[in-house]
Amino acid sequence: MLTLQLLVNGIALGAAYALCALGFVLVLNATGAVNFAQGDMVMAGGFVAIALVSLWPVPGLVLLPAVVLITGLLGLVFSAIGYFPLKSRPPVSVFISTIALGVIFQNVAMVTFGPEPRATPPLLVAGNVDVGGLTVSIQAIAVILIAALLVGGQHVLLMRTRLGQSLRATAQDREMAAALGIRVNLMIALTFALSTALAGVAGLLLANTYFVTPTDGTNYILKAYIAATIGGWGRLHGAIAGAMLIAVFEVMFPALPLLIPVLPVAIHGMFSQTSASIVLYLALLAVLFLRPQGLFGEIAQRRA
Amino acid sequence: MSRRALISGLMPFAGLACLVAWPLVFNSPYDLRVFTLVGIYSILVLGYQFIFGHAGALALTQGAFFGIAAYVTGILGAKFGWSFPVTFPLSIVAPVLVAVVVAIPVLRLESHYFALATLGIAQVALLIAIKWESVTGGANGLAGVPGIGAFGLVLPRGYPTLAFVWGIAGVCALVAWWLMRSLRGRAFQLMRTSELAAMSIGLDTARLRFLAFLLSAAFAGIAGALHAHTLRVVSPEVLEFHVMVTCLTMAVIGGRTRVVGAFLGAFLLVQLPEWFRFLEHYYLIAYGGALLAMIIVAPDGLVGLLDRIGARLGLRPRHTLPAPVPLPSAAPEDVTAEVPLLSVNGLTKRFGGVAALEDVSFQVDRGEIVGLIGPNGSGKTTLVNIVTGLTPADAGEVRLMGQDITHDPAFRIVQRGVARTFQLIELVDDMTCLENVAVARLTKLGAGFGRSRSPTEVDAPFGLAKRQAAHLLERLGMLEAAFEPAGNLAQGLRRRLEIARALALEPRLLLLDEPAAGLNEIEQQDLAIRLKGLRTSGLALVVIEHNVPFLMAIADRLVCLNAGRVIAVGKPSDVRADPNVVAAYFGAQPADGLP
Repeated sequence: MLTLQLLVNGIALGAAYALCALGFVLVLNATGAVNFAQGDMVMAGGFVAIALVSLWPVPGLVLLPAVVLITGLLGLVFSAIGYFPLKSRPPVSVFISTIALGVIFQNVAMVTFGPEPRATPPLLVAGNVDVGGLTVSIQAIAVILIAALLVGGQHVLLMRTRLGQSLRATAQDREMAAALGIRVNLMIALTFALSTALAGVAGLLLANTYFVTPTDGTNYILKAYIAATIGGWGRLHGAIAGAMLIAVFEVMFPALPLLIPVLPVAIHGMFSQTSASIVLYLALLAVLFLRPQGLFGEIAQRRA
Repeated sequence: MSRRALISGLMPFAGLACLVAWPLVFNSPYDLRVFTLVGIYSILVLGYQFIFGHAGALALTQGAFFGIAAYVTGILGAKFGWSFPVTFPLSIVAPVLVAVVVAIPVLRLESHYFALATLGIAQVALLIAIKWESVTGGANGLAGVPGIGAFGLVLPRGYPTLAFVWGIAGVCALVAWWLMRSLRGRAFQLMRTSELAAMSIGLDTARLRFLAFLLSAAFAGIAGALHAHTLRVVSPEVLEFHVMVTCLTMAVIGGRTRVVGAFLGAFLLVQLPEWFRFLEHYYLIAYGGALLAMIIVAPDGLVGLLDRIGARLGLRPRHTLPAPVPLPSAAPEDVTAEVPLLSVNGLTKRFGGVAALEDVSFQVDRGEIVGLIGPNGSGKTTLVNIVTGLTPADAGEVRLMGQDITHDPAFRIVQRGVARTFQLIELVDDMTCLENVAVARLTKLGAGFGRSRSPTEVDAPFGLAKRQAAHLLERLGMLEAAFEPAGNLAQGLRRRLEIARALALEPRLLLLDEPAAGLNEIEQQDLAIRLKGLRTSGLALVVIEHNVPFLMAIADRLVCLNAGRVIAVGKPSDVRADPNVVAAYFGAQPADGLP
């Protein structure tokens, strides 16, 4: 029972990670550049929600469209400053410019909201429900549902709409897309907007349970990166699977002594949040070393 | 000496004078400590320049190495009471060891993977520092770190500590300058522009990057240890990401590859926030803004900016063409002439299910020009890539003068005497033609990393390399372009420059991948004459071309590939008339001849 409960929490966390990782990979595919501030956009989403709720105290779900809109706009600004002036330079330049933007976001948040952890309002209401003898928090279920909806919506957008076709064409081969009359720069700007909006929603979803502080970005970008690496660099579905795997591991690992009572008490201390992060990182190194194409991928992709 | 030369010659002394005057003028204890920190950060950035600037890899570990060293000094000093002569070396060794372990899986990755993978180390180190309270003091850190000292004597704060730190910074600067001067610096420039080209001149790029990474870690170790001694406390702050961001910003703002840039960046970014302290967190926003502005406006940093201003004012010394010196004539070969220069036997390569090469065999003799033809996708470039060690073969062997080189790494095959050019030209666009060629003399002149030379001949290899490069440019009829940046050249000259660079390796065999592509007819004729001239020295050429008339004019033999198989070998006229060859180019129906 406890296992199942933890599993639900893990999936909820993973759903939010997946949104962040998805945005990360979308920009990566469209521009070949890493957006290092993707984690800071998660943080920004959390604080945008907190700012909104202080003006207008409503449940998180009502705030969702506003968060999408504001963080999406932020993404447009972001691409205008951090990407377009550098698009013909080596990708490392964009990496550095996004680090710089991340630092700016972080400290703007620090100046505005202070260093203390804050929480966003729950999506619907606080509390738990009983599902077949399983006590689950309403927030976790809502998070999973909303993330699933967004991932599905993103899939439909990319696969079933004309805009999505243009976005994919741009990611695949920019010059070819331009030759076909697609407005490549607009598509890239929209990809940034989509990516930061996804991260922003992740911030709204996460910050109720896990709080948000201005320096959280580094943690989230690492998670997005590990998810993208485990899932196979540049693969959307891989990144989602990777995010789930990480999150479930993160939630389960510290609870292992409870789940497996036969573990000797002497080593219980080894199972903490900290050691979970360390094991995760070592796993990342192992994946990089043994399967650079990711756990699920077959083709190794080279991206300069 | 002209006035200009005088001014540029006096600049370093003026800089040095400012450096000495600064702590004499701003001499409160607080000012002195801040200036000591400038020295410490300079060392950190000097180290970071190895991996980020020279090797061109965006590592995000420098902050972690710094913090790890600070903790080693802190723990050993405050908890165990060990003193500087023991803790200092250990503080350098610790981050270097971490670097070695991390480098194995991470260093071969491309930039993005690399940057993010290295960031993880910093996060893990920070977590450990906070959680492992019994050793690290947790979130509060450790107080009571001893000052720099030995045998019961401790350097007082203020001037003595400052002088010591700056003395070490001076030594570090000299080491950094010495390691990256002349040919080596250019070799790193080539490597970060084009890894492929670096391998093609015989550089072991993986090893160079590894050494750069270890040097970065060692310098970070020095800086971290000194930081702990200066502040007398260590806290998790030294491991936080903002240390890394600060270091990166210093390198970008000062300049990524120049010693002066490290000091300039460290000075500005340590001093300015001190003056603007009233801005509190806003100064970090300004950091971010400055980093962003610099990366967009002046990616070479302030040093690059000053250079450009200096060049506009005419402060640069004028280029004088070095007197050309021919390369040493090839040593007599110890192998009997019966062994062919190159023999390829039964080479097979599959990509997935597709056979790119199927049982390919042929030979090349000394002084011979062999043309390699075949329709697109017939495996020509794959063949060259296997011979030069860029792609591993599935089966078969490649022998050079009888010796098996099938499994040698690319750089070693180059060192054995196989040079190549690329279909898509790989040159350093902002380096002069002369330097583009001179850098290929690195391995032959023995100025490689880690090889010592006596200080009296500091620049001797570079000077000689340039003179030899001038000779090669002359031979290819492009000496007048010697000081032109390679990026300014027309296509025909770029091809020739790449050939000159390949010749600088003193090869026995030169593989040219579509040398006539993109050349007009006059340029093609010129190239044909020059290529024929090359074999007088016994050099053999393998020329991949689609342009059959061009090959007819120069080749002794043609080898024709189709769908990964050799379908014809022999005299150009015979191969051209071969029905199989005609069929390969035109489909099943035989035609009158090839275009």
